[in-house]
Amino acid sequence: MNQAEVSKLVSKLRIKIPNEPRKLRNIKGPEGRLDKLRKTVTGLFKYERIELNYSRGDEARQYAERLISEAIRHGDCHKPTMEAANYWLLEKELIHKLFKVLVPRFQDCNTAYTSIINAPRAINTRSTEKVVLELKGNPYPPLVNKQMNNKLLIQNVLLDAAKYDYRQSKYREMAEKIGITDEIKPTTNKDENRTNQIQLNDNKLTEN
Amino acid sequence: MGARLWRFVEIMKYMERTILSNFFKQPPKELGLFSVTEADANVKAPTKGYSLKDIIGDGYLLAVPKFRRTIEKRLKRKYGSPEYVWKMIVPKNNIKVCQECGHHHECGRLCENCYTKIETETKLIKDKIVEKLGGSPIDKEVVVLYENETPEQPKEFWKGKRIIEMKKERPSWFSKNLLQKSTQEPSDSKDVKPTDLA
Repeated sequence: MNQAEVSKLVSKLRIKIPNEPRKLRNIKGPEGRLDKLRKTVTGLFKYERIELNYSRGDEARQYAERLISEAIRHGDCHKPTMEAANYWLLEKELIHKLFKVLVPRFQDCNTAYTSIINAPRAINTRSTEKVVLELKGNPYPPLVNKQMNNKLLIQNVLLDAAKYDYRQSKYREMAEKIGITDEIKPTTNKDENRTNQIQLNDNKLTEN
Repeated sequence: MGARLWRFVEIMKYMERTILSNFFKQPPKELGLFSVTEADANVKAPTKGYSLKDIIGDGYLLAVPKFRRTIEKRLKRKYGSPEYVWKMIVPKNNIKVCQECGHHHECGRLCENCYTKIETETKLIKDKIVEKLGGSPIDKEVVVLYENETPEQPKEFWKGKRIIEMKKERPSWFSKNLLQKSTQEPSDSKDVKPTDLA
């Protein structure tokens, strides 16, 4: 086979890419769509965290991921990569950022370079779905706190201890109950009443 | 000559409109939008050849619905359609309690309370970074330091990094180590508490 492997020609991204590009509605058509996406990608690289509509954010994310991965693969001495960076980043100081800041940051990254999280929807509205698109490793406070699942978080340690204590006390109770039921079976109130009545009847019979 | 005559005619018309009509207590002709001819009482209505024009005369009819709307259409207007826009009030079953703050939020979305808090802080940092870096080429990673924060990392860590200082204390929820509050120093107040009370 003389055919080149596709995976070596195009960098494989760590996000799911749909088969066809999403059609974003624009007066200028496909050209306007790309303009919009360029603006978004530029904003993402500049601010590292932006909030926007889902469709636009999801579409821009793919181009941003591709750009970063190309930059990591080829470096800044590769002409097509540089041209792509020049095309996608409208503010030219961000080209420096791409090669000098983002490439070292994501070089050893095993996951996707960006993350997309659903923003809260305003109550009782039919507004469009908003998302927060961000570059990983940004200096802002984290959106999702993953410490909740951390076993060593003080709350989790205390909860685990409380659970353990509760379980132990339950086991002790169960063990005590097992010992009691084997020795004697306590009589119920109904049985007692019945025996009393029988006794009374016997007394009446003897009187007659 | 012609112009003068025209002017005279105009004046006469104006006189007729204002003075004469006022004198005879008639409304000005401009307000007479409809001129419905009243049928004479003596003249009998024509028995045949009856048409709509006899009723409305020079007037006109407004557009009105011609047919009754079907029950399906009426109900859909009222309640909507479950597949498209369902107007009924339906309880949401995807509400969760936030692990951080205890507010309710939709499943699979960020908590609104937490997010607004983060958003405002993010905006402050963003503005600070943009103000500091300006339009210069960005070639260094940015590290945000709050007030009263001492960098604990060795010197090599700070090499090739741009420090942005926020002129406020680090918010308690944006702490790297939740077990220990790094910003608050131990108090050095020398207040003596009273002893042997009650």
